[in-house]
Parts: sequence; C-alpha cells; structure tokens
Amino acid sequence: MTQFDAIIVGSGACGGWACMTLAQQGFKVAMLEAGSAVVPAREFRHRWPYELDFRGNGQPGLLKKYFHHASEFNYRIMCDDRENPYTTDPDKPFVWTRSRVLGGRTLHWSRASDRMSDFEFKAASRDGYGENWPISYSDIAPYYDRVESFIGVSAAAANLPQFPDGVFLPPMPLNCAETIFQSACRKTGFPATTRRVAQLTRMLNNRPPCHYCGNCVNGCDVGAMFSTVSTTLPPALKTGNVTLLCDSVASHVLLDSEQRASGIRYIERFTNRSLELKAPIVILAGSSLENTRLLLNSQKGGLANSSGVLGHYLMDQLVGAGASGFLPQLKNTAIRNDDGKSGGLYIPNFNNLSPAKNPKFIRGYAMSASGGAAMFPTFASTLPGYGSTFKKDVKSLYPAHSLVWMSGGEMLARKENFVEIDPIVKDKWDIPVLKIHCTHSANDQALYQDFFNRAHELFRAAKGELTETKPLLAPPGSLIHEVGTCRMGDDPKSSVLNSFCQTHDIKNLFVFGGGCFVTTGDKHPTLTMLALTARGCDRLVDLARKKEL
Amino acid sequence: MTRRDANWLILRATAIAPWLNAHQEHLHSSAPSDPHNWTNYRPKFFSPEDFQLLASFTEILIPTDDTPGAREAHVAAFIDFVVDAAAEFAPETQDHWRAAALWLHSIDLKNITAPDQLSPHFQLIKEMTVHAFYTSRIGLIDVLEYQGNAYLTEFPGCAHQEHHDPI
Repeated sequence: MTQFDAIIVGSGACGGWACMTLAQQGFKVAMLEAGSAVVPAREFRHRWPYELDFRGNGQPGLLKKYFHHASEFNYRIMCDDRENPYTTDPDKPFVWTRSRVLGGRTLHWSRASDRMSDFEFKAASRDGYGENWPISYSDIAPYYDRVESFIGVSAAAANLPQFPDGVFLPPMPLNCAETIFQSACRKTGFPATTRRVAQLTRMLNNRPPCHYCGNCVNGCDVGAMFSTVSTTLPPALKTGNVTLLCDSVASHVLLDSEQRASGIRYIERFTNRSLELKAPIVILAGSSLENTRLLLNSQKGGLANSSGVLGHYLMDQLVGAGASGFLPQLKNTAIRNDDGKSGGLYIPNFNNLSPAKNPKFIRGYAMSASGGAAMFPTFASTLPGYGSTFKKDVKSLYPAHSLVWMSGGEMLARKENFVEIDPIVKDKWDIPVLKIHCTHSANDQALYQDFFNRAHELFRAAKGELTETKPLLAPPGSLIHEVGTCRMGDDPKSSVLNSFCQTHDIKNLFVFGGGCFVTTGDKHPTLTMLALTARGCDRLVDLARKKEL
Repeated sequence: MTRRDANWLILRATAIAPWLNAHQEHLHSSAPSDPHNWTNYRPKFFSPEDFQLLASFTEILIPTDDTPGAREAHVAAFIDFVVDAAAEFAPETQDHWRAAALWLHSIDLKNITAPDQLSPHFQLIKEMTVHAFYTSRIGLIDVLEYQGNAYLTEFPGCAHQEHHDPI
C-alpha cells in the first residue's frame, strides 16, 4: 500500500489548492472526497428548461431532499439533505447548503472573488468590537496575488482602500441595466465597479476563456470558471503524487499515542465499510462546518479544543430582500443577451470607513445590481391580469426587470452562535450530525435595514419602478458564506488555529476553509480562504522539510 | 508523416474549418428542439373532460394572438404530466389540482370576473401556466426571443450612450 505524506479531507476550493501545492512539492497525497467524481466534459453542457422533464423544478417534491438551492439543472452536484441531515432549534432556522461531489461547491459557486482589507482584518481596533485577525492585509496580499494569477479573476481596478485591487484579467463588460445602475451610483455617490469573478476572459493555464453561456451554477462545460476540477486538480494529478479517494466519508481524525494526528477513519459511501488511512500530516478542508464536525466527533469535547472555542463564533454574511422592479429606460426594447455573463455591478462597502461612524451600526455591507432578460421571467406569475395584454406586458417588461441585492453584509462574531454534536441524530453512515444554533444580533438587523433603504435609494436614482418588498433578513446560512467555528488567533486560549491554519494543540493538523475566519467582513469569502490555504501550505511545506511537524 | 500527408491535412483542415465554425455556432446559438413529444398527448391525471376545460382556460390566460400561445406550447399537457408525477413525493399537489378542476367547472370561462381572479385556484393555474409557457421552446424562444445560453467570443456590453449618461 502507498505510504502517504499527507491526507486531505475534502476536494473543494481549499482541498484542491492544498492538494495541488503539496503534490507539486513532492508530497504523496491522498485526497478524500465524500461524494462522487464528476467529469465536466461529459456531465456539464448548455441546457434548456424544456429539455428537462420538469422544466427546472424537478419531479414535484423531489428537490425537497436538496433544500433551498438545488434545481433540476444541478441537483446532482448538490447534497442530499436526507442522507446528510443537521438539526437546529425549531424556531431558529439555519440554511446549510452543501455539496458532496468532487470539487464541492466550486462546481456551482457564484465565483465572486474579492480581497478583504485591513478595514476588516483590523476592524476591532477601529470600533472596539470583538477580535482582530492575527494577520493584516500585507501578510496575505502576496498570496492573493498568487491565487488570482493562477485561478484567473476578471475585474477592473477600482482604487478603493476598502476594496483592494489585484492581479486581474480584463473585466466583463456591463450590460444595459448594470450601466444604468452605474450612472445612478454617480448620482447617489456610491462607489461602483464590475463584479470581480473567478472566470476567464482570456485563455489561462490551458483553460479556455468564458463563452458567455450563463450555465455557470449548473457546472461550467469548458472549465472557464475556477473550480477544483477545472483548475487545481489537473496539475495535481499530473504530478503522479495524488491518490484520489471519492465516495469516502471521513468520520474521525485518528491520533497516535502522543496525541498527534496519525490519519483519518472513513467510511466507503456505498459499502459502509469503515477504513483507516495513515499519514504524518492531516489536513481538513471539507467546508467550514464539516471540518468542525469532524473535530467535534473525533474526541470527547472536541479535538484541538483546549481553548473551548471550537464550534463557537459561527457566522454567515447577511442577505435579505433587496430592491427589485423595472427600469423604464429598458421597457419594450429589443431583447438582448443580458444573462450570458455572470456578475453585475458591484458596490463595495462605503459605511464606517471614515472616523465619523454610522450611529446605527458598526461594520458594513456590499451591494450588487443587475438586470435584463433572464432565462425565465420570474416576475411574470405575480404580474396582474391575463390574456393578450398580460402577454404583451411580460414581453415589454422582460428586458427591464432589475434587481439590487445584498452581496455580503457583515454579521458580527458572537460566541452564542455555535454548533455542537446532536446527541441523537446521525447521518446515513451513522456519524453524529451537527446541531446549529445561530441568530442575528441587533447590529445585524440595523445593518440590513440600512442596506434595504440604500438599495431602494439606488433603484429610485436609476428612475426604476419599484416592486413593493418588505424588509426581511433571510435566515442565517442563506448566503452560503458560513464561516467561523474554528477561528484563528495568536492566543491559544481564545482560538483553535494559528494564522497558518495549523491547530495550536496538534502541530501536524491543519484546517483550511472558512472555519478560521475571525470576522465575516463584507467580501465574498472564497478568495480569502484560498489565499489563507496558500499561505498555510507554504508554512506546512517549510515545517515538514525542517521536520518540525 | 510525409509532406504529402501534411499537405493533405492542411488542405482538409482549411476546407473543413469554415464549416466547423458555422456548425458550432449553429449548435450553440440556436436552441435545440423540444425532445418531448407533446402532440397527441393523452392526459394521465385529469379526466378527458377536465383536461379539455384546463386547456381552454390556459388558452384564455395566454392566448394565441400575433404570437403563439398556450395551445401551441402544449401547456395543459405539461401541467397534466407534472401533476401526475406528483403522486410519488407530493401527493398533496394532486389534491390542489383536483380542487382547481372543480373550480373550473364552477366559473364561466367566457366571463372571468374580478373575484374569480382572486381565487387561489386561479393563482395556482396561472402560476403553472406562466411557468409551463415561458419554459417551453415556443414561449422562451419564439415569444420572449431569449438571446442567452449562446456561444460568444466576446460579451456584447451596453453600447447605448444614453445609459452611460448622468441620470
């Protein structure tokens, strides 16, 4: 049997990056993935709703298994919630959208790739709430450079201190609705730029550029968007150093007699056989909460939990109803290709940047705006009337339908938001599941309300006709930016990981992903997770070479 | 490989290339036909009489005028197909449609009143009709003239000066 130098649990963004880096450095790596392998060229293609039996909705009742975010287009790359349950208190919902598939959520993520800034890393110093990150922007900037250069981020430089620029491919052009919102931003004084996406506008590392089909969240057929399978796995496999074990559900981190990590116990998904895999370095990269679940299940009281904070400080960025309606400038215009590209207009946070703080809330939020003819006219079923007039109304409004949404509002880190092991419920493989406790704070509510007002302000500035919407903050988890529960810090008494994502307690155990986040910030988290993984891997390789792990 | 082979390959490649490009463009930019056969559809859930009534109603909601409507898009057939398939995981859906069919018998299709339009049955049928119509090839391509899901080398950004101008 192969002797492995490292085991990586999970093949998402961070697992894929770690696998590539270590394999290229000559490490023999085993990567475990709980779900199946997919072959993008075979399984992803341009699809039309009428080609599917149920036009995107699935057989009635079937998609309940896949919770909120799956459709008939993509449920096969999502996670079956009945096999993988989790629990909450009845009146405190948490939406946990997962994928169990090779590549994880990189196969269908929204690709938004933003750098966090010192406004976020050092927010506690500015407003006195919570903790600073143990790193500052200058520590992570070189790794942002490295990740962007490799995965390819199309973006425009914005020259804003709260939204640092990076190594960019040319931006995707804005469509008509986005251009109108950009003009409106000049009127309201909001900063605005193209949404930054990990999607190629030029050929890069043998990956073709985007061809603007718009099937991104159902899986990219050519690998123009960053995913493990398109970007990091091919060079990893090319080294010959990687053993990929799909359909392998990790259940425990194994320990040796000296309380060092010695491997992973896992269960074969279809045979239910329990197996052990040994290696001198163990890396958990199976999503923020799955990593924490694995640590909690590995030892009574939680592995690497001398601090007692493992499982605590759960966060998800805020999202809720925004402003939607119609831009009269676009009514009854010729139908254009509006949804072929991803993204939209991005409005970086402009709150609490100057010493004069907002009196109602601390921290900030980012907004996005877009519009135009999408594949399905979602507004049509609530449009009044019927008959020929109705049909003409739908057609006239089709290119004018527009939306301003919250693309990331900071949710405060609070200890009382936490996950624990449910004492009763187990998954299909008899592994105890998570019980999630998470609610919004008064600051979260105030910040959301401010977004709601500003979104309406922007919509009105664009001369848009608003559809009436009630301000309603979605349950935590809804933005699928869940982070925290395994946070990093300099003090082992108040954090699980050091700034290299290495556990304070067990030197040869690393945890990559969003678990280490100290705050959510207002940026999309994936690019920061990748940069922290790149930084952690450098450290890991260095320590392994010096035999200090 | 001899030079003759190479010449032949180049010759063949130049001859094929324009056709290949045109073929790919065709594959990507024109929507494929509907693989399902909806003509001569025999209802599986609704009785023939209810199905006829439902079809008439969907054709009132989205009529055939200067563009095709619910009839050409076989909206009633799709609804019957979906409701029939609800038996396995969502049997309560079938109860809603049984009630909706009864309601259809109770109203005057020639004179749909304002209270009729407030009925939950009206909403149910309208929502499903809108979904069925605008996800059909006829609704999406022929009526809405949707331009996306294509294969482009560059995305056509907004070139309207008035959209860039200060508002």
